[in-house]
Amino acid sequence: MLRSLLLSRFRCFDSLRLEIPQGVVLFHGSNAQGKTSLLEAACILLRLQSPRATALGECAQFSQNTFGIAGSLEGKETNSLRFHYAENGRKLSVDGESQRSATDYLRHSALVVWMSNEDLSLVRGSGEQRRRFLDFMASQLFPGYREALKSYEKALRSRNFLLKRDARPPWPQIDAYTHILDENARILTQCRRLLVESLAPLAERGQKEIASSEENLHITYESASGDNDDLFTTLNARRDEELRRRVTVSGPHRDDLLLSLNDKPAAKFASEGQQRTVALALKLGQANLFLQSRPEPPVILIDDIFGELDPDRRNALMAYWPLASQKLIATTHLDWLDDRFADAARMRVSQARVERES
Amino acid sequence: MASIDYPIPVRHLITLLKQLPGIGPKSAERIAVWLVQHGTDTGIGLSHALAAIAEDIIECRVCGFFATQAEGCAICHSSARENDVLCIVEQPTDILPLERSGAFRGHYHSLRGRISPLDNIGPDDLRIDELTLRLTKGSFQEVILALSSDVEGEATAHFLVDLLSAFPRIKVSRLAQGLPAGGGLHSADELTLLRALQGRVTAS
Ligand SMILES: [Zn+2]
Repeated sequence: MLRSLLLSRFRCFDSLRLEIPQGVVLFHGSNAQGKTSLLEAACILLRLQSPRATALGECAQFSQNTFGIAGSLEGKETNSLRFHYAENGRKLSVDGESQRSATDYLRHSALVVWMSNEDLSLVRGSGEQRRRFLDFMASQLFPGYREALKSYEKALRSRNFLLKRDARPPWPQIDAYTHILDENARILTQCRRLLVESLAPLAERGQKEIASSEENLHITYESASGDNDDLFTTLNARRDEELRRRVTVSGPHRDDLLLSLNDKPAAKFASEGQQRTVALALKLGQANLFLQSRPEPPVILIDDIFGELDPDRRNALMAYWPLASQKLIATTHLDWLDDRFADAARMRVSQARVERES
Repeated sequence: MASIDYPIPVRHLITLLKQLPGIGPKSAERIAVWLVQHGTDTGIGLSHALAAIAEDIIECRVCGFFATQAEGCAICHSSARENDVLCIVEQPTDILPLERSGAFRGHYHSLRGRISPLDNIGPDDLRIDELTLRLTKGSFQEVILALSSDVEGEATAHFLVDLLSAFPRIKVSRLAQGLPAGGGLHSADELTLLRALQGRVTAS
């Protein structure tokens, strides 16, 4: 669990030093006071990626191009983590020792589950949203996944560029990139498949437990790499189509996670309430999968969903989230609080200042 | 009132120094002032060295390593090298660490870069025609690809493997993994290079 957080020039915080109590911590305050940014900073420190910004540079303050986040993590061992972002590169350190790679750094960190109102787009949104969900999980569980994803994306950009650039595409160069896509696609596909196999039963059980009625959620991973995950052969067979469309037509960037409720696609046929339950079941499934995967329970970051959930789903969330996990909750209102939160620490967030209230 | 600055020759020197890699305006000014104040001998020595480089140093037309007009290329002209193995590298600076590792006694071929479409560098910008010419004429039995292990290095390697399939009698191998990604060969230590050379794998 995260015991402290230090921010420097991060979004609205010029500088902040925060001791974080154990268990459930409520950060409350009006909108745009910095609640979500606190959770985001915790996520970046622990996982080196933001659930909000696509580029970390967006977290720097206006007219600045650096920011820093540090914190201490308590578990089997205690580690102090430091992340410093600058336009020309980032610096990572653990216990004062600088880390050469993200993989080295992340080995000392904790797993993270992020929950927010945007989770509904896991069900309603495009495949992109579901791939990001898979990537966020797989990067945490499988060493090497992050690197493979980066190489894949880089090779994909070059390959798509080559497909578009000339009237007659330079196939020998394009094929060189097809090899790289193929090598990395095998890693991504295997990890995603393994991940969904472990996640599916947990999320499917969660759906039944959250919904009071019998709701059969079914989750399937759909690979877009073709037979036997052989992307090289698949792309070669679709060359005419690529010549017409000028874009890479198969591969993990087209994968999807199929969600069906009582045998019908959830995006189309489920009610909004059911869709919210599916989104919650996916995130609780992630939390419980992470709980099983590591000796240390995941840190759960919950951005503003508590006030939006109806009492049944709120109760379900509290019944199925891992008890041992630290939960940092950002919320605008506290009117939903009941005596189950008697022990929760309350922090008031106002104008980029944080005060402990209880 | 007009502001006072250094005399024109000093300003000119500062402007030139600023163009050097890793030298910013402050360093350029510091170096120029130092040369003016106590470096007459150094300054003249430096200007001779620069003139000699401009006149004499060329890129070897065969392997791409640094050569001189007068003496030619120390690698290509040596009789003590194995004539059946060719090692392909991205940059001429990648050759020295391989030499120092002592594990390789064959010939080299610098591509002078690697394929990187998004930076507008394609095969035509590299010394690939020179390579095929050498392979057609030469006595090489084996080609070792010693390129960096990031996406551009890998793409260049795959491109070359396909290209070299036109020479069925030549065995193509790649350095075993262990070279730092992105850094090229010159950031690898000698032991890493030695292991990589010994563990090279046949490319398919
Ligand atoms: Zn030469």
